[in-house]
Amino acid sequence: MFRNVLGRLVTEIVHVHRYANKAHLIQRVTPAFVSVRSFTDVKDEAQQPFDASLLEFLVCPLSKKPLRYDADTNELINEDLGIAYPIIDGIPNMIPQEARLIQKDTDSSTTPTQG
Amino acid sequence: MAASMRLLFRRVIRLSHRNINVTAAGVSRGSGCCWGPSTCRCFSDAAGDSSTHFGFETVPETEKAKRVYKVFENVAQKYDVMNDAMSLGIHRVWKDMLLHVMHPQPGVQLLDVAGGTGDIAFRFLEYVRSQQERQKRRASRSMQTPSWQDISNNYSTEDVVESQESRAVVCDINKEMLKVGKQKADSLGVSAGLSWVVGDAEELPFDDDQFDIYTIAFGIRNVTHIDQALQEALRVLKPGGRFMCLEFSKVTNPVLARLYDAYSFQMIPVLGEVIAGDWKSYQYLVESIRKFPDQEEFKGMIEDAGFYCVQYYNLTGGVVALHSGFKL
Repeated sequence: MFRNVLGRLVTEIVHVHRYANKAHLIQRVTPAFVSVRSFTDVKDEAQQPFDASLLEFLVCPLSKKPLRYDADTNELINEDLGIAYPIIDGIPNMIPQEARLIQKDTDSSTTPTQG
Repeated sequence: MAASMRLLFRRVIRLSHRNINVTAAGVSRGSGCCWGPSTCRCFSDAAGDSSTHFGFETVPETEKAKRVYKVFENVAQKYDVMNDAMSLGIHRVWKDMLLHVMHPQPGVQLLDVAGGTGDIAFRFLEYVRSQQERQKRRASRSMQTPSWQDISNNYSTEDVVESQESRAVVCDINKEMLKVGKQKADSLGVSAGLSWVVGDAEELPFDDDQFDIYTIAFGIRNVTHIDQALQEALRVLKPGGRFMCLEFSKVTNPVLARLYDAYSFQMIPVLGEVIAGDWKSYQYLVESIRKFPDQEEFKGMIEDAGFYCVQYYNLTGGVVALHSGFKL
């Protein structure tokens, strides 16, 4: 009796494994389609809505002044101090050391460290 | 298998010896400096280059933030798994307790600092959503036979309720932890009302009087200047806002304390090595817990920062303490 049960279990597991493998392949195939079609859409979506709602209360940690979102370089810019905070993967990086100085002529990668 | 266990034991003993040596060296260095002939130079050095603790090690303050960053960068991927393994799943109970004590109502803004993988923020959103449903159910139950007046009133007030959406902002200094958290959120399908920001707890990128609740769960002992973080918390909270901090603390019962110490120093780094492949980070974890002030001292620090009605709840016999204060 137990041998029957065991036998059934084994066949079920084998079926599940095969299905799982197929499902894995299917999952791998569909993202390719999805990404090709809506690559730009997804990229824009990941960045636009996040910023609009965040900008309401996000300020520069150094001067506590509001920031301006720059869509071209994908940064948050503080005009007074002339620094830009990068946005990576839709997450704004508000660490002063990681901000970029915006010079009129050149832009260096060093930053003003807090006192 | 026995050989590897022996190796592990030897490592434990070696590392614990190293810790004792380091603290002894730190003490001797400090006292030598004070009594040396060049006291003037010593004072100026101390003023410019003050040191703090990194676990049982003494490091310059500028170093600590970098080393903490590296610790969490290394453990980010396995952070949640390790939490479950080390605390035997009890950390979920602690975080649920935090939410119960917080008891947030719909429409509340939460700032979760050192939120990393977002545990508190997820629980917060779930709690608020279930609260909203409870309220709706209660309202509908009391309105089984509405009059025409009630129905017309209902139509006009529906929009007002929707505008008060609760929002959770997760702030962490470490990008890797936030990335893991964001992936979790995407896989759970939770994104409404959830924002992720990389920021320093000592210098928050938020304006004054913004948030109703500020939480920091198991993060404040990693901050270099705890008083600055507390002052920032006071600044960004609205008047009437609540500061809540979950942190490992001193165990009150001596028997439990002995067991807890044995477990901390012998099991946890081993688990760290086996599961996350990182002994040192988890050694830092248990050492930093010992260096953190106890319940009363931390309560004093919160009061010094300007919070009122500060109280703490001991969870699991003092292994974890939940501190709460209000900005009035």
